Amino acid sequence: MSRYLFHRLWQSAVTLILATIVVFAGVRALPGDPALALAGEDRDPESLRAIREQYGLDDSWPVQFWQFVSHAARGDLGQSIRTGEPVNGMIAGALPVTIELSVLALLVAGVIGIGAGVLAAVQRGRPAEWAANALALLGLSVPNFWLGLMAILYLSVALGLFPASGFVPFFTNPVANLHHLVLPALILGTGLAAVIMRQTRSSMLDALSADYIRTAEAKGLPPRAVIGRHALRNSLIVVVTIVGLQLGALISGAVVTERIFALPGFGKLTVDAVFQRDYPVIQAVVLVTATAYIVINLLVDLLYSVIDPRIRVRGDA
Amino acid sequence: MTPRLPLVLALAVALAGCSPVQPAGDNTGTTTGSANQDVFGEPADPGQVKAGGTLTVALSADPDKLDPTLSRSLYSRYVFHTMCEKLYDLGPDAKVVPQLATALPTIAPDGLSLTIPLRQGVKFADGGAFDSAAVKTTLERGLTLAGSARKSELGPITAVETPNPNTVVIKLSKPFAPLTAALADRAGMVLSPAAVAKLGANFSTAPACVGPFKFAKRVAQNSIKVVKDPQYYDAAKVHLDAIEYRIITDSSIRSANLKAGDAQVADSLSSQDAPALQKDSTVSVLQSQSLGYQGVTINIANADGVGNPLKQLDTPIAKDPRVRQAFDLSIDRAALVKSIFNGLNTVACSPISPKSEFTSEAAQACPAHDPGKAKELLTAAGVSTPYKVSMITSNNPDSLRLAQALQAMVKDGGFELVIKPIEYASLLDQQDRGDFEILQLGWSGRVDPDANIFNFVGSTGSQNVAGYSSPEVDKLLTDARQSTDKAQRIKLYGDVVTKLQQDEPLIYLYRQRNLTGVSKKLLGVQTYPDGVIRTAFAGFAK
Repeated sequence: MSRYLFHRLWQSAVTLILATIVVFAGVRALPGDPALALAGEDRDPESLRAIREQYGLDDSWPVQFWQFVSHAARGDLGQSIRTGEPVNGMIAGALPVTIELSVLALLVAGVIGIGAGVLAAVQRGRPAEWAANALALLGLSVPNFWLGLMAILYLSVALGLFPASGFVPFFTNPVANLHHLVLPALILGTGLAAVIMRQTRSSMLDALSADYIRTAEAKGLPPRAVIGRHALRNSLIVVVTIVGLQLGALISGAVVTERIFALPGFGKLTVDAVFQRDYPVIQAVVLVTATAYIVINLLVDLLYSVIDPRIRVRGDA
Repeated sequence: MTPRLPLVLALAVALAGCSPVQPAGDNTGTTTGSANQDVFGEPADPGQVKAGGTLTVALSADPDKLDPTLSRSLYSRYVFHTMCEKLYDLGPDAKVVPQLATALPTIAPDGLSLTIPLRQGVKFADGGAFDSAAVKTTLERGLTLAGSARKSELGPITAVETPNPNTVVIKLSKPFAPLTAALADRAGMVLSPAAVAKLGANFSTAPACVGPFKFAKRVAQNSIKVVKDPQYYDAAKVHLDAIEYRIITDSSIRSANLKAGDAQVADSLSSQDAPALQKDSTVSVLQSQSLGYQGVTINIANADGVGNPLKQLDTPIAKDPRVRQAFDLSIDRAALVKSIFNGLNTVACSPISPKSEFTSEAAQACPAHDPGKAKELLTAAGVSTPYKVSMITSNNPDSLRLAQALQAMVKDGGFELVIKPIEYASLLDQQDRGDFEILQLGWSGRVDPDANIFNFVGSTGSQNVAGYSSPEVDKLLTDARQSTDKAQRIKLYGDVVTKLQQDEPLIYLYRQRNLTGVSKKLLGVQTYPDGVIRTAFAGFAK
């Protein structure tokens, strides 16, 4: 086991180093110059030189890379070129917002998607199925941006039900926090809800035509129990797998949703940093994301090996 | 689990090509006032506003460092105006008025020293006393701090003297007329010496100045909050408890926030949203004509990048002023302003705004639209038509509409304009490297004409991206800089414009109007020609 653990840790470290190099080089391959982007209108050669010197932008790439890596290894992700704020603090502030938004969106998507999927399967060939299908198609086709704008116009401006922008931290005021996140979570969850609905519907249709359902019905179980306890339960395995695969899309979607609703999340931080060529921030957000994926992958693999010893044996071989 | 890092990175990089950091040309549409008419807003009547409340301002871009010495973003000025007062301010007539000073500076006859009397009994947000020593610390920081964006604005200052706590004397090596106007901008914001000593170059993390409000917190790329400062010398005039600046980059969403009541002020309204907002009984639209301009810069000799020795480019438009004049004559500015900007923006043929106190007949002269003459000039220059030129421009919708209109117009004059849209940060990069034939970009404008001209067309100008060099223009600009006689400066700037219209390194097109949406529940919001939205003394209606 320890050999397997060492092997996987070593693999993860290599992946992380590669990711760091790719991010570092990728950011610098972008056209544009952070000093110029910062200087904007008020620029002169002297202050551009000063900016480049202050942030080490005139150092050679290996020197800059070493600075970035050595500081990151000590847990210091640097300082934003644009605002001068420590990047650690910026990320620590943004990450919980995106995590909360994603969890809520997942919840919304799950409730709507599974509900509509079951309804469509049970009501096959009836108007309810058509309606659910049409909604799913809409959910998949309509871009988040447009949907967000419409939601603001109708639900915030016209009806005044939800705030159009802003964020209140959960621990400051949980009610206001949820009130601000309802619309963004709905918008972000729509696309995923459509995917879940279609998957649930098709899995449910398969399940409903299976022998064990016929047996359950023959035993005289009420329809609610047949659908809920037997058909849905078996269908959900596939649905859960799909949800897992769609999580990345959810986080990408958060980029757009956060910009529409002015939420101080990770996605907004990333995109704004790219626009402003704020190298330390871009590097840090990608590094943190990469590390999160690598750590989760590592944990999952280690968990597999605990559950299935064959994996461990193969790893030892 | 599939790693999605490439997806996140690719998305972020792809989005970089979607919209610019700052729009190059925008603010179109009609407003409550007619074209050419500014609506600045009125100061609040104390009897009509109630005390308290938090104002939310929807800002179109994120301010950069909240340090007046290092700040370079236009938007930081919106925030500074509530928490960092200046020695001088600007009035609605674009004239300089005292703020932390008590009178305009007394300038010595030789123009080499300025004496500024200061307010007494004023305190910084951190409790320290405001005095001449603080002004000295601030000005010296502006001149010496690494990366200072104020150094060139402060000009040839040799010393800052403090004969007593209420007087500061600025010594210059040569006369520098634009200094007073610079002190009415970020260079004149006085910082708390205690905060400067404690935070150094990190002043922006907890800025402390003199102002109706003081810094409370900043959420990265999302919001900035300032709260009322009870120590402010004129605290009775301050009605609001706090102001939150919320960054909302999309103009439609800013308007929606305004209509929904989630924001009470929104800057930089767009042409699509302004008409609807005018009809909205809950919102009013303020408008002020910019002191800046939008124009087309022609690359004459910027072959190796700004700051490097000039090298004449070997293209007809770079070599022959007649070709540039032909390009200018092909543009029908009046039609441009009317069709693209609904008559809201105004025609500009020079860097000097008609609102400037340095305007003159010569400064407002404008070559008449004459495509026929343009073709004649091209023929005389030995250029075969259609003459193909490529123009880089920002990739935002307004800039593209402008570029397309120009493309159609200059066709009549014998030009074939190829449009190359580029994302804003890349555009700046290409501009400074000299990697363009012609480019469309603007300048937000400053009070003193020197700041709108010298850097752009002076041979040694820091933003002379055209690579233009004219000893005659250089001399006129230097004389105007050093003259303390207003009439003489007006004459000199008129001469500069005349010469620029012959050489055409920069073809001025129009001056945009800053549009600000304000909820009618809020009284006392004002905008002036400097583009800064003044919210400090606003209050919610009773």
